[in-house]
This record gives sequence, C-alpha cells and structure tokens, in this order.
Amino acid sequence: MSMQNSNSSAAPSWPLLTGVSVVGVYAHFLLHAESQIAVLGLAVGAILLLIAFSRFGWTARVATSAATYPKLLGAGAVAAVVLVAAVSYEMHFALLMLTTVLLYSTVCLGLNIQFGYSGVVNFAGAAFFGIGSYTAAVLASHSPLPHLLIVALAGLVAALLGSLLILPVLRTRGHYAALITIAFGILFKTFLEVNDALGGPQGLKIPGMEILGWKFNDNIAIGDHELSFYLNYLVLSLALCAVTFVLVRRLERSWMGLSMDVVRLDETAAATFGVDIARWKITAFTLGNGLAGMAGAIYGMMTGFVAPNNFTFGDSLILVSIVILGGIGNPWGILPAAAIVLILPEKLQFIQEYRFLLYALLVILILLFRPDGLLPRKIRNYFPGDAGR
Amino acid sequence: MQRRSFARFTLATAALVVAGAFAATPASARDTVKIAFIGPLTGGVSVNGIGGRNSTDLAVRLRNADPKSKYRYELVSLDDECKPNVGVQVATKAASDNSIIAGVTHYCSAVAMGTVDVYHKFGMPVIVWGAVLPEITYGNNHKEIHRVNGTMVNQNEVAAKFMTSQGYRKWAIIHDTTDYGKGHNKYFSEYLTKSGGQILGTFGVTADQQDFTSELTKIKELKPEVIFFGGLTPLGVRIRTQMDKLGVKAQFEGTSGIKSDAFAEGLGKDLAEGSLSFIEGAPWEKLPGGLVFTGKYAQQKYAEAPEAYGPFAFAAANMILDAIEKVGPNRKKVRDELNNAKNVDTIIGKVTFDDHRQNIVPLITKYVVQDGKWVVWEDSEYGKGKRKLMGR
Amino acid sequence: MDLGLLGQYLLNGLMLGMIYAMVAVGFTLFFGVLDVIKFSHGDVLMVGTFAGLATYLGLESVGIDSPWLQLLLVVLVSVSAMAVLGALIAKFLILPLKDAPPLNTLLATLMLGSVLRESVRLFYPNGSNPKPFPRLLPTDEWSLGTLTLRVDNLILLAAGVAAIVGVHLLITRTKLGLAIRAVAQDGETARIMGINFEWIVLLTFGLGSGLAALAGVMNGLYYNETNFGIGLLLGVIGFSAAILGGLGNVYGAILGGFIFAGLQTLGSVALPAVLPSVPSAYKDVFAFTAVIVIMAWKPTGLIAEKSSERV
Repeated sequence: MSMQNSNSSAAPSWPLLTGVSVVGVYAHFLLHAESQIAVLGLAVGAILLLIAFSRFGWTARVATSAATYPKLLGAGAVAAVVLVAAVSYEMHFALLMLTTVLLYSTVCLGLNIQFGYSGVVNFAGAAFFGIGSYTAAVLASHSPLPHLLIVALAGLVAALLGSLLILPVLRTRGHYAALITIAFGILFKTFLEVNDALGGPQGLKIPGMEILGWKFNDNIAIGDHELSFYLNYLVLSLALCAVTFVLVRRLERSWMGLSMDVVRLDETAAATFGVDIARWKITAFTLGNGLAGMAGAIYGMMTGFVAPNNFTFGDSLILVSIVILGGIGNPWGILPAAAIVLILPEKLQFIQEYRFLLYALLVILILLFRPDGLLPRKIRNYFPGDAGR
Repeated sequence: MQRRSFARFTLATAALVVAGAFAATPASARDTVKIAFIGPLTGGVSVNGIGGRNSTDLAVRLRNADPKSKYRYELVSLDDECKPNVGVQVATKAASDNSIIAGVTHYCSAVAMGTVDVYHKFGMPVIVWGAVLPEITYGNNHKEIHRVNGTMVNQNEVAAKFMTSQGYRKWAIIHDTTDYGKGHNKYFSEYLTKSGGQILGTFGVTADQQDFTSELTKIKELKPEVIFFGGLTPLGVRIRTQMDKLGVKAQFEGTSGIKSDAFAEGLGKDLAEGSLSFIEGAPWEKLPGGLVFTGKYAQQKYAEAPEAYGPFAFAAANMILDAIEKVGPNRKKVRDELNNAKNVDTIIGKVTFDDHRQNIVPLITKYVVQDGKWVVWEDSEYGKGKRKLMGR
Repeated sequence: MDLGLLGQYLLNGLMLGMIYAMVAVGFTLFFGVLDVIKFSHGDVLMVGTFAGLATYLGLESVGIDSPWLQLLLVVLVSVSAMAVLGALIAKFLILPLKDAPPLNTLLATLMLGSVLRESVRLFYPNGSNPKPFPRLLPTDEWSLGTLTLRVDNLILLAAGVAAIVGVHLLITRTKLGLAIRAVAQDGETARIMGINFEWIVLLTFGLGSGLAALAGVMNGLYYNETNFGIGLLLGVIGFSAAILGGLGNVYGAILGGFIFAGLQTLGSVALPAVLPSVPSAYKDVFAFTAVIVIMAWKPTGLIAEKSSERV
C-alpha cells in the first residue's frame, strides 16, 4: 500500500486536467447542439471517445491523477462549469439546462447519502423536491422573509415532513422500505391535486428570487452586453451544489461516513460493534430530504411556477436513475449522470414522440453493460491521498 | 491493436467534422422563418398533442406549397409532456431562440399557466390552441398570450342551460382531479345551480384511475337523471362502460374533452349512442374551410386523427402565418398584428380577440353521438325529435 | 344503505381484489426465485391484453365468430405469448443483472415497462387511444333489488379463483412446484441437488407472466375497455399488494390484493360518509396512508418471510 502510495503521488496532473477539459468541451457542444445530425454525431463521438480512452489506457491515467489531486479535480469541475456558463452567457436555454443539472445533482447528492452510504432507499425524491418548491411558493408570496432564508426553511420543512416517515422507514428494509417511499410519493401528488389550499392541480406561481435588492429575474446588463438572468440562478445553484459536494465528500471520509457504510453493509455487524443504526439512518434520511427541499426551492423560484404534475413517481425515478447511472455511492458520478439523464431526452426532441422509447432503451443498455454505473465507487480508501484502489 | 484503435479514433473525429458540416447547411431561396408548436407528444394525453402537432404541420406545409407565400416556414415542434416543469423548459428553449417568431402552444392548462410568464419575458407571441383554463388569458395582462379556443366558462354555461331546458333536474358529477376536470366541475356546478338543476353528488377521480365501480354504485343509489363527466376521453370511455356494467341508467353528458372519434370507437356504437358533448367554436365540419381541412389532412396521411382541438391548432397556425406574411418575421409586429385580430375568418369561425386576447367565442356547438359518430345536435335525429335522450 | 348495494360494493371489491391478487402473485413468484422485483409486470399484463385483443380482431377477420372458440383462442394466445415474453425478459434482462445491486434490476425493469408501454402506444394501430375490448361472455343479468348480478362477472370471478388455486396446486403438489420452491429457498443448494436453476427461473417467469396475461384478458373482459396506460398503476398496486402481504408468499400476495381493493372501496364509500367534507378523491391518499401505517406495524408484510433474518 505504501509503496504504491509513494509511486503514484508522483503521478502527473495533466491527465486530470485534460480529462476535465474534454468533458467540459463535450458538455458545451452537447448543450448547443441543435440539429439532429450534430446530436447524433456527438452521441457516436462520445462512444468512440470512450472506447479510445479505455483502449489507450487514458481512463486509468485520468483516474490515478484524479485520486492524487482531489482538490484540483474539484476546482477543475467548478472551473469547467463556470467556463461553459460564461461562453453561453446569453443563451438562456443552455443556462437553464445547466442550472437544472446542478440542482438535480444537489438532490442526487442527498439521495446518495441515503442510497449509497446508509442504505436507506428513497423513491420519493421528487416529493421532497416538491415540498421545497411549494414551501418557497407559499413563503415568498405571503411573507416578507428574505429569500435565502426561505431556501433554508424549505429544506427544513422537507426534512420535517420526511420525519413523518422515519418510523416506518426504520422498521423496514429493502423492497419493503421502497414501498413506503413509493406510497408517500403517490400520496403526496394526489393530495396536492385534490387539495385546493395549495392551488390544486393548477399549481401556484412563485415570485423570482431577490437577495438584498438584486433581482434574479432581470437580465444583467454590462455595458452593451446583456447577460441572461439565468446566470444568477446558475451561480447560486453552483454554490449550493459545490457546498453540498464538499459536505458529502467530508461526510464520506469521516467516521460518520464509515458508520453509515457499516449500517448499509451489515446491520447485524453494525449493531454488534455498537453503531447506532437508527441514528445514522435518521441522519441520512433527514439530511438527504433537506437537500432536496433546498434545491426544490431554488428550482421553483427559477421556473416561477409549481404544480403537482412536476412531482410524479416518474420524476422520483429520474432522480434514482441518476444516482444509479452515476455509480451508487460515488458523488463524482452524479454530475455526468445528471447531465446525461436531463439533457439527453431534451436533445432527443427531434424524434418527437419516439424519444421516451429510445431513452428507456438507452438506460437499459447502460445498466446491462455498466451495471455499476458510469463511475463505480471505489473501495473505501483509508489513507487519504492514496492513489491506489 | 494500437493501430486499429487509432483508426477508430480518426474515424470518430471525421464523423464529428462531417456532422458539424451538415449542421451548417445553407437555407433555400426563400428566407426561412421558424414557428414553434408545443404540446404533449408523449404520455397519457399525447393523442391530443399529436393531433395538434399534425394540424399545425399541415398548416405549415400548405403554406410552403403556396407559391404566393413570401417565406419558407419551418415548424419546430416540442414535447411538453403535459408537465409544467418540462413546459417551462421547452418554452424557454423556443422563446429564447430569436429565430422562432411565434408559437402554437399547449394543450394542458397547468403547463400553459406555468409558461405564460416565459413568453412574456422573452416577448414571443403565442396562440394557445387547447388549454381551457380561464386564468391563462384572464389571469395576466401579457400582450404575447392569445387564445383561439374558448374557456370552460362559455362551454359550461351553454351546457347547463341546454340540459335544464331539456327537462333534466338531477345530476351526479364525476370529474378528474386535474385542472381540466376540477375547472369544469366548478363552472358547471355554478351554472347548473343558477339554471335550477340539482347536484346529488360530486366525485373527484384521479386521471389514471381504472375502476369506477364504487363511485358508480354510490351514484346508482343517488338515482340521478344525468351523469356529468368533466375529463378526457380515456376516462370517459371507462366510466360510460362501467355505468352499463353496473346497470346505472342515466344520460351521459361530457365536456369538450370527450369529443373525439376515439370516444365513440372506444365504446362501440351501442354504448356511445346518445352521449353529449359541448365544444366552443362553430361546427367546423360544416364550414367550407373545415372540409378543406379534413380533406387536406387525409391527403397528408398522418397516422393519427386531428382530434377535437386539431382544428384550433390549425387555425392558430394560420393566423400566425398570415401575420408573418403581412408584417414580416418580427416578433413585436406579429404580436401587435395578432392583438388586433377582429373577425378573422378561420376554420373554427370568426376569431376576435378581446382586451385579454381571448377569442370571444359567440358559439358553443352541441354534439351528440348518433350511430357511432359525433353529430351536431341540431342536425341529429335527437335534435329533430326522432330519437330521445335517456329518460326523456 | 340497503343490502343490495352492500352486495354490489362487495362484488366490485372482490373483482378488483382478484385482479390485484393475480398481479401480486406474479411479483411474489419472481421475488421467490430470484429475490428481484420485476417492475415491468404491470406492463406485461397490458401487452397481454393487447395480444388478446389483436387475436380477437384477427379471428374476426378470418370469420371465426363463435364467442367460446374466440375466448379460448384469445386466452391461449395471450397467455402463451406473455409466458414467452416473460421468459425472454428473465433470460436477457434479469438473469444478466443477477449479480448487480437489486436496485439496478428494479430500474431496468421499470425502464422496460416504459419501453413496452411506449411501444404499444406508438406501434399498435392507433394505440394511444382507448380500445373497446369485446364482450365474449354472456351478459345476462339478474336484478335482485338494487343488486345487479351479471353472468360475465360471476364467470370472471370463478376463473380468477380457479387460476389462483391452479397456481397454488402447481406450486405445492407438483414436481415442478417443488423445484420452484427449492430454488426459492436456496438457489445454490437447489443447483447441487441437480435442479436446472436457469430453467426453473425461466419457467417461473413464464408462469407469472402468463398469469398476468390472464389477468389482463380478464381485466379487458370485465371493463370491456383497455388502453396502453393500465399497466403502470396495476404494476404499482400489484407490487404494493405483494409487499403488504409479505414478499415470497403466495397467500400473502392474495391477501394483499384483496386488502388493497378493500381499502380503495372503503376509501371511496366510507370516507365521504363519515366525513362529509372530505371528497371521495381522497381515497388514494387514504389507501396509501393505510399502506404506510400497516408497513410500520408489520415491517415485513402481514405474512412475514420465514428466512428474512440471517443472524
């Protein structure tokens, strides 16, 4: 182990930087690809690029380099997002998609704590996301509270409502626990539809965000250039996502993450070693739901509208598929997976009514050929900075 | 091995370059102008969305075939999945793309409610072709939002008055719990009570429900003369079938949502017979333009029917195309042109926008199923007194 | 409320419960042999209904119009086609994912469900519209006061009971059933005992899917209508019913099916009666809340798995 350590700490950083740049450039082209041929070309290109990467052994080199310089990787990812955003400063739609990817990633980072670390399944992610949006809608229209506080409160409300489920979630496991959250998700949507107090099926309007007089829904004028107002939301979402990411990584590497891993892998063993199972499951469940609520609040304020139809069982599945496709337990996989899951169906608009069919087929293929997701979680690394597996 | 993979890599690069070249193919002689269609193309109500898409597509094709038109039109059609969040996404996509001049948008009311602000923000004029919630036009004062179809208010006023004039007094109401069904329930109940009808019971059902036997058994106990259903075709078919199954004998009255060929086909001739529906606009089947529409639609060999709101999408698309022909591909000018529409001839009758850019629909057409086909009430054997509605 | 109406509610609930139970039995069988949840089950049912419908239309076009012969062929074609489809799904989607995390199978089969659903919507002629399902059973009815008894409903109820009893006998009384139970209890040991593991898995999936097809045809005959969307909700409810009863237990699945139907009927009848201000649309809220409460009380289902705890 230590031999490997000393060897690989000399690993160069350029493969990492190249990798991040390639992904960034690719994401940029994908966001802006409009014609069918361009999208198809990009899809084929991605597959060939992946094959080329693994054939030449570049994937391994990038991975080694990434493990050696984790901070550089984080900085690189943030820089890539900022650069892609900066290049498309006027492109409202590209920025909207990018912000959506960031917000969904935040929710999935929360789900990752639940699914990936402590093994609590949650098929009601969209419901908690929705609770956040609805809280924002009610508080922003009917109270003078500052909007950043509302975002925090939305997270709190989602966590609190989630705690209603704690007892059944603690008592059940696996598929039984899945049923509880599925039932909750369906119940949530039906309740909103039949209940008129929260706008019923027509939904509610949400005022745009405003922090210290800075109106998020106005375009930003710099000299002659007008920047898209979505940049405001992008910056906020990027901040939330980055903070969440750091939090999740810290959690994973701390003794708390270790305890959660034990709870997931073997409850009996965990109990034998004095690990409080209930405590970690509750922590993970509440934390994840809170993150979903916060992201939901920002998303709601950005789109300006919330309705029950946004939060169906199908939407919860989208969230779960991001976590699984990214590689359960690996926060690094979430961002690319979210980009694929959210942007791909959008880019498939040209095949119109066939796009859902194709999308479902693609997901099945990915699951068959990469059962552990795009970036599978590595076995826990007890020596920080160790590059080895 | 190494060489082979390198060859593949080169191939990939080449493919990308070719793709890029294709993406930048130049346009043809006439300037190309884009318009958008947005509606549900996947999921439960996709049948209506696809019908609207085809109808809009038809309008664009006919215009392109017309040698007199000044521009070549290109239709960008987008899928909103009948979900507000997806709707906002695709609306932003269309509206922020300045090459798209105007749009024929939305079948689902909740989606339309969510997107009106987006169109306003980006200044893209749109004409709503199917969503019926009054607030879409009356809940804001955005100059960009127009609507050719009437609201559920008009529809239900006529429906309630007509039915009470037929001598019915006792109703049971079933509505789906979407904005569509709930809205219909609200306005129909309001007008029914005003016209002297009595509501024995109201039942909200979810839009994907299969089994209505317990609601219908309850209704059987209440013994209404009419069952009013506020919702779309799939549910309507199920409810009408199960009424028969349980021996509930009452007149079946629906809203614009069941006026589709699929309703009559889904039920079969016997069960569908005598079902009623109300839809805003002139009976387009009887107008000369309407016949042209059905003829041309058949010529294009679309796999799917236009459905009840296809003609509205067709009319909306034509209004937009006319406006562009007249004032050029400029969003602001097209918007102002549309704002001032007065007595414009379309296949759904004359279109006039009021101060909220809502088409003032003077006419609600009543339909009844006769021998497996929707027939305008006045022309039907029911209207002429040869056949009788249930219980009359 | 008079007795006739009460009987009517009971009959409605029984019929609903029967269909739920047949779907739930499939879920529980699959879980038994492979410990997986095959979420596309409801959509397989839907495809089964459409296969039956297509068979009927085919028979009509070649001029076979005896309803009993039509019925027989509709059921045969639908059940055998879905049995093959079920086995194929097991062979090419579920067995390859055997060693992956269970969530993957769940997601993959959910996506397969979307594929089936969208395929029927797009490729069955005019598939996005509801289709009338033929009335192949006699529709004579007796009215006993407010209760309407129809022959077709009674036949369907009887057929459902027969199908479930048949599956039960197959599992408890035959050699094949023994093999299925052996694989369910311990796949490895079963293999050592000379049982062809893969064959048994495929047969079980065929059996469960055939049962779903039968339920689909019954569903069509009962409602005389079908559409591409029926599978999703029936799948979720069948899954809920199987879990509620306790996964891997056939009796549990049947019990779960009837309980769920009972909850829904109760929700739409009793809820407005007890609390007049609550509209009947809350019945699903009621049913799913009850499910959550029951799960909190009996975390491994009403009839718990015997070997769920490995200590």
